[in-house]
Amino acid sequence: MAPRVAVGFAAVLNFVGAFISLEVAATIASDVVDAGVVTPLVIFAGLVGAITWNLITWFFGLPSSSSHALIGGVVGSVVAAVGFEGVMGEGVLGKVLIPALVAPTVAFLVGGGAIIICYRVVGRQRPGPVTRGFRMGQVVSGGMLALAHGTNDAQKTMGVIALALIANGDLAQGSDPPFWVVVSAATAIALGTYTGGWRIIKTMGTRIIKMDSAQGFSAQGAGAAVILASSHYGFPLSTTHVISGGVMGAGAGKRLSAVRWGVAGNIVTAWLLTLPMAAAIGALAYGLTQLFGDGAVGPVVISAAGLALTAVMFARRIREPAPAPAG
Amino acid sequence: MSMAALLATVVDTRALAETVVAAVASGIGITIVFAVAIFGAARFAELGREGRPAAALAYGALAVICGLAFAGAIVAGIIVMTSG
Repeated sequence: MAPRVAVGFAAVLNFVGAFISLEVAATIASDVVDAGVVTPLVIFAGLVGAITWNLITWFFGLPSSSSHALIGGVVGSVVAAVGFEGVMGEGVLGKVLIPALVAPTVAFLVGGGAIIICYRVVGRQRPGPVTRGFRMGQVVSGGMLALAHGTNDAQKTMGVIALALIANGDLAQGSDPPFWVVVSAATAIALGTYTGGWRIIKTMGTRIIKMDSAQGFSAQGAGAAVILASSHYGFPLSTTHVISGGVMGAGAGKRLSAVRWGVAGNIVTAWLLTLPMAAAIGALAYGLTQLFGDGAVGPVVISAAGLALTAVMFARRIREPAPAPAG
Repeated sequence: MSMAALLATVVDTRALAETVVAAVASGIGITIVFAVAIFGAARFAELGREGRPAAALAYGALAVICGLAFAGAIVAGIIVMTSG
């Protein structure tokens, strides 16, 4: 499949995936922070925390989770606004942190187990037909992964928009996000994949392991299975971590040394840092915004400063490319 | 209270366990079915070239059955997801 067609195919399935379920959106809107204490300013500061951390990790070439950055940013700004009593500790631990540890591990094991079985079943066959077969299978497994990605990731955005609507009094607590929110989140994730997806696809497909078609099929299948099952139960996962786990498993199942463990280490480091760092930046953004009062001046000033910082980072990154990952 | 007991009160262990079982069963199961379909198709082509039509037909049937099972599993998974 040509790259442009593959990215377009993934974008369409991202869009469709956003309509499959609302369980994750409900978790974000009601199980992470107390919706009653959330204000538009809290949402703004949370988003600043998430976007800033994403930009920092992008600048240093670290793969990180936008999902955890989003959750961390909102939690941090809620803590800055009302203290820890505004955070639903049980929800954060039970619905975010524990699944965040379990899901990539399961994807690693499924990806590893699947590739071992694949090689056992087809290992003595001629490589040509086997490679062609798994390439055809990758269209399906890649499609399922795109569907899963759309389902879990778009819902996090829906959850945050729902929180903002609740804070503004436009939506009752516990309600599903309105249809226009679902369509907006679906459109945004599809456009994001179509415009920037190829860079990520190249990173996941070549930097962690050098993949053959059977490994690609196993990794995608493992990632899709974990994300779709988790979405069904409302666990907001990092799809980046899950597919990374699947890719590492598919590499390790063939040969442990096939995995570039330095890159894997960078992923784990960024994974551990994302929630606390996004929370810290979210809290800081809330504090800075509050210096200008409760009106629109604070968000306008912080947004302008953020845009200026982003422009500087883009300019520097254009002059000097991101450092190559270890390993 | 032990750490495990504390976690059990916070984490919906049943939902988490069901998620893990569903992910492992579907991820590994679907891969096995698809790998067997490829195996069947590869043997079908090979035996056909060797002039052994009966054996080729058996492997062809295996490939078709596993291919259909693979498609069925994907459709069933989507139905389960969309049925909430």
